[in-house]
Amino acid sequence: MDLALQLLFTGIGIGAVYALVALGFVLIFRATNVVNFAQGEFSMVAAYLMVVAVEAGLPYWAAFIVALLGMALLGVVFNLGVYYPLRHRTYLPVIIATIGASILLANSVLAIYGPQPQVLEGWFETPGIQVGPVYLDSQYLLIICVTICLVIFNFWFFEKTLLGKKLQATSQDKEMASLLGISVSTMIMITFIYSAVLGGLAGILVAPVLFVSIQMGSTIALKAFAATIIGGFGDVAGAIIGGLALGVIETFGAAYISVPYKDGFAFLVLVAFLIFRPQGIFGERVAEKA
Amino acid sequence: MPLLEIRNLVVRYGEIEALRGVTCVVEEGQVVTLLGANGAGKSTTLRAISGLAKPTSGDILYDGKSIAGLGPEAIVRMGISHVPEGRRVFPGLTVKENIMLGASNRRAPTSEISREADAMFDLFPDIRKFTNALGWTLSGGQLQMVAVARGLMAKPRLLLLDEPSLGLAPVIVQAVFKIISEIRRNTTVLLVEQNARMGLSVADYGYVLETGRIVLGGKPDELWGNEAIRAAYLGGHAKVSA
Repeated sequence: MDLALQLLFTGIGIGAVYALVALGFVLIFRATNVVNFAQGEFSMVAAYLMVVAVEAGLPYWAAFIVALLGMALLGVVFNLGVYYPLRHRTYLPVIIATIGASILLANSVLAIYGPQPQVLEGWFETPGIQVGPVYLDSQYLLIICVTICLVIFNFWFFEKTLLGKKLQATSQDKEMASLLGISVSTMIMITFIYSAVLGGLAGILVAPVLFVSIQMGSTIALKAFAATIIGGFGDVAGAIIGGLALGVIETFGAAYISVPYKDGFAFLVLVAFLIFRPQGIFGERVAEKA
Repeated sequence: MPLLEIRNLVVRYGEIEALRGVTCVVEEGQVVTLLGANGAGKSTTLRAISGLAKPTSGDILYDGKSIAGLGPEAIVRMGISHVPEGRRVFPGLTVKENIMLGASNRRAPTSEISREADAMFDLFPDIRKFTNALGWTLSGGQLQMVAVARGLMAKPRLLLLDEPSLGLAPVIVQAVFKIISEIRRNTTVLLVEQNARMGLSVADYGYVLETGRIVLGGKPDELWGNEAIRAAYLGGHAKVSA
């Protein structure tokens, strides 16, 4: 039981990272009808930016801000360079462009930093605290807290502000949104910035737990993508629940069944969902919105 | 000077010439109805005015200034609001939110927009009880009310209405046209209709479109008086118009 609680904590921690990246997937998908295959690279680039900023001698919090600002900028460049020129084409050229951007980002970082994985310290000096039977690792605690805050912010932003409503309107019917005077290109720009920052945040938060490597992006992105399908593709709540569920499932699977097959569990669950419930946990809601 | 003047407008969708030189005029304060069969170019005319369709040639003058080729965001800011075919109410937003977004073309504090949206329900009392219902849960008539209310939130000088009666039960059609006759008190309306009877009942002037050209224009009773036109475009004597 104690072990189960401990695993649940770790699982939710890693699941929160998947949830953040999955949220980025869903937001861009809803705004542009395209899956952004470079979403995982956002996490990787942010982690490297963080490493660079910390090595440059910035305090941790300042490095954090610099890295996130860098991600916001990357979101702008990504939108203008990858999505905007192809926005009137079908989804296929855009998807291929995001794959191209993903390869470009990974190899640019490889060219600059080399294949050697980097290490990023955690935010806190204290490694963690013992609460009853469960040891709460400080980095996982931070990840969970930040994710909770972001989920609340996300809800407030999309449900309570007029800008959030305009973003939703744009994702539901771009032509109608433009007829009302909503600047569709601005809304899509905001979506890309927000998604890049979300992905970046996930990368920075998870970096001290994993190594900072070129491959970290694709690993996280694959899991996050699986999470969006499990949750119900295109659904915000589904992405978050799917991400958390996936983190918990793979942590339990690793502990009770097999450590080497840890990554396999996520995809086993994904395959099961594709066969038995392809619309995902929150599937119906998506269908009604379509 | 007319509020809207369309001169020799040509619109092509690839190989297809949807409009082949449309010329017509909408005077301020009028309700003008565009009649015609399916595919005659009625919707394309509205789409060209609101900036959704790019004119190939010809000109669109609004308040004396050319707006041909401008984007929809710019045109709605100038005071032309387009309620398109099929209502296009955002399915995942509530009725109130849909209506509030109608004011996206002008700068106003959110609290004021919210108040204006509430006031809209005085004109559309039937949808008041659905204030917080999501768009997809509404019926066709209710969606049409939301779409028109949202279009009015732009405070337009010119309102473009595309087939507001399409797919609605007769009693709902009556209600929609009652609202149009309220709107006309302070807004100019360009109405597209297949239902010629209803379309002309509120109009000051009507045009008949056929395969991308205006073939006839006149006051409603003149159009009714023209036997050939009546038979061909307005549904004939005994036939109930489609």
